[in-house]
Amino acid sequence: MSTDDFDVTAVTLKATTYGVISFLVLFNLVVLAFIFSVSFMPPSEFFGAPHIIPQNPTLDAWTSGFEELQDNLVNSFLIGLGTTVVALAISIPGAYAFARKEFYGKRAGFYAIISAMMFPYILLVIPIMDLWNDLGLYNTIPGMIIAYQVFVTPFAIWILRDFFAKLPTDIEEAAQVYGCTQFTAFLRVILPLATPGIVAVGFLAFLTGWNDFLFANLLTTGTGPVPAVPVLYGTIGGGSGERVYWGKLMAETLIIGTPPTILYLVARNYLENAFTV
Amino acid sequence: MSTQNRFDLGGWASSYRETLSENWFAYLLILPVLAFLVLLMWLPFAQGFYMSFNDWPFGGEPAWVGLENYRFLFDWEPFYTSLRATLVFSLTTVLQLGVALVAALAVREIRRGKSFVTGVFLISYTVPPLVTGTIWAYLLQPDLGPIFGYLTQWGLLEETIYWGSDGGASLGVILFVTTWTFWPFMFLIISASLESIPEELYESARMYGAGRVQTFLRVTLPQLKSAILVALSIRIIWNMTKISQVLQLTNGGPGYDTSILAVLLYRFAYGQGRMGVAYAVGVILLVMTIGFVFIFIREFERTSEDPQ
Repeated sequence: MSTDDFDVTAVTLKATTYGVISFLVLFNLVVLAFIFSVSFMPPSEFFGAPHIIPQNPTLDAWTSGFEELQDNLVNSFLIGLGTTVVALAISIPGAYAFARKEFYGKRAGFYAIISAMMFPYILLVIPIMDLWNDLGLYNTIPGMIIAYQVFVTPFAIWILRDFFAKLPTDIEEAAQVYGCTQFTAFLRVILPLATPGIVAVGFLAFLTGWNDFLFANLLTTGTGPVPAVPVLYGTIGGGSGERVYWGKLMAETLIIGTPPTILYLVARNYLENAFTV
Repeated sequence: MSTQNRFDLGGWASSYRETLSENWFAYLLILPVLAFLVLLMWLPFAQGFYMSFNDWPFGGEPAWVGLENYRFLFDWEPFYTSLRATLVFSLTTVLQLGVALVAALAVREIRRGKSFVTGVFLISYTVPPLVTGTIWAYLLQPDLGPIFGYLTQWGLLEETIYWGSDGGASLGVILFVTTWTFWPFMFLIISASLESIPEELYESARMYGAGRVQTFLRVTLPQLKSAILVALSIRIIWNMTKISQVLQLTNGGPGYDTSILAVLLYRFAYGQGRMGVAYAVGVILLVMTIGFVFIFIREFERTSEDPQ
């Protein structure tokens, strides 16, 4: 009796496990498949009965989508790349100091930075707009790259500090015994060992620059270097969608969504380690 | 400095002067990060906070009005609609936690295909939120979208639902889309923490004859507590301040029914150019979220004190 009971719970548990997983996986895959398929439909096919296989497949949505977005995609790419480079340049030294140096005010400084992660960023947009206007950074790519640091650096410090802290304590001194200076010990020994953390941070930084809507929409105007995401907002802006060619819009979502997804697939092994709290 | 370092290696810790110069170097290293945060966060915030006491038309000169902006909000009916929407909307964090916890526990059980499964899970989180917002704006479009199309075709619904004109339904839609988009973030944090629970704990639980439920309640859950609290406090704040999906799906409407505080801020600032009032909304939002910062720091501290 009791072994029977045990088997029943074990089987139920197994069934639930696979049930949950297949549901969540299928849910995402069906959505993806639908979007993909719809992006090949001509505008007329959006009326009438819903169907998943396009009857008269066309590439119009993709070609016009690409045409509309090409300049914006370049902007997005430059912004993502710049955000990554600047974020790494300023947060690697900081994280290193927080992980491996003792100094007065270390704890306070660390939490001042980490808690910035919890700040409602939307509060910053208005004053930053104003400030950027005065500094000539409004409506420029560098302006956005700098602004994104407020999202990225707290995260970067959090992740990188853990990576630096995990390395053996006397590793720099050992390197210095072999003739490295403090700086070359950092460059040749510490930095390579922290590569997984650096990749994870680089990925998150690029993702921020590429994915953000708030700053992207508010720190640019139509005449400036608009990244790709706000363009998508401009086309429907709040759901009134009768005149919209949804096929083109879905092609555009796929075009904008693909680069971060590919990057994620490349960086994923590093990411899973980075999130240990 | 570098040569000195090499020669003084033995006695550097005891030398006061050397300690000072070590300190000086550390300060130099953290200076860029601190400078950026002061420039990008504390200065703008101080300016904005000051502005919330001013009448500040977009592009114009601010004029001091004291607490007038706040008084205006508290006397203004839609502000309470917005507050209520914010509270309902914050349920998304609980839903995200629920899905993430179940998914993380399930994924731990399976042997093969783990990396495929997590890969598919993460899709909704890696693409821009505005992209997922646009996708659902189409899928849930009442006239042309496939979801209502199929539901009416199969006879499950009499006719399509124009959720955009119904406050409750609109709130439901943004709750669903936000949850679908952001749960993988919590999944990542909880999974990582789940992996790091030492196997010995489970072995001793087994030795003492603990059942599944007991093991989960006494071993798994307490070990996950900090990760869950960190993830919760981050997500509560982030969910409340993400506006792109709400704007794309409902524009804060109908009326103010889905204008969570962050969207209200946006509407005051960019719809009406009333920066002072917009910032007053922001300050109220900050007051509502600030408590979570302390929970976050406390739990963060706890995990870094006793690394497993």
